[in-house]
Amino acid sequence: MLRNLSNRIAFTDPALKVNLERLEQAWDDYQSCRDRDGVYRYLTPVFELVSWWAHGDIAELYARRAMRRKAGRPVDHVPEPFAAIILCTADPEKVDYRTRSKWSRALRYAVKFKRLEEPLAAFIKRKGGINKCATRFARRLGRAAQNIDH
Amino acid sequence: MKFRIDKALQQYLDEALDAARLKRNGVKRAQKAVFAEILTKAEAAGDAMRYLDAEGRIAWKATPRLREVLADLEADARADDEHEAV
Repeated sequence: MLRNLSNRIAFTDPALKVNLERLEQAWDDYQSCRDRDGVYRYLTPVFELVSWWAHGDIAELYARRAMRRKAGRPVDHVPEPFAAIILCTADPEKVDYRTRSKWSRALRYAVKFKRLEEPLAAFIKRKGGINKCATRFARRLGRAAQNIDH
Repeated sequence: MKFRIDKALQQYLDEALDAARLKRNGVKRAQKAVFAEILTKAEAAGDAMRYLDAEGRIAWKATPRLREVLADLEADARADDEHEAV
């Protein structure tokens, strides 16, 4: 019932806009900090946003809307939601396809295996870092795992 | 049956709810509907955000921007108090 109450409140287009702007700000903060863990200043809010979308089963819908907003027109291809939101909010000159894919896989690994109360940065570091989490995702949940299964 | 809301956002929403009560001019609406409307506006304004809480439920909290504003207001109020005390 509790979940239904919050789910019944529509996530409006202005809300999407301000959330994406917040992530763009988080990206700028990450770029201007010298902290070696600074990337989590950006990845944590990305993770938070897409996680609740996924919980409400609206992640694909809003990833598409975010891409459309960014492109200024409807888009044919939308990557999975984490990659889409990173594509929309990080500087594409600094985050290329490989990095985006790696971050996205690490975040999807966290969705699957992180305890809800554990901070994202603590979980990823405990699991050996972003690269390791991305590899673990590919091994356990991604195409590599599917190829083994079939 | 209520919304899960963090303390900082709750204070902000309580004030908005009071303002809504003053404006309603005798028109009665369900408190939950009024609250939902306030949350929608706060989210669209970048003051409130949803997240998954430790129990996996969708909850609401103040955005970093609202937290900064509230912290500034609190610091101002404290400075005023100290100024008056002198």
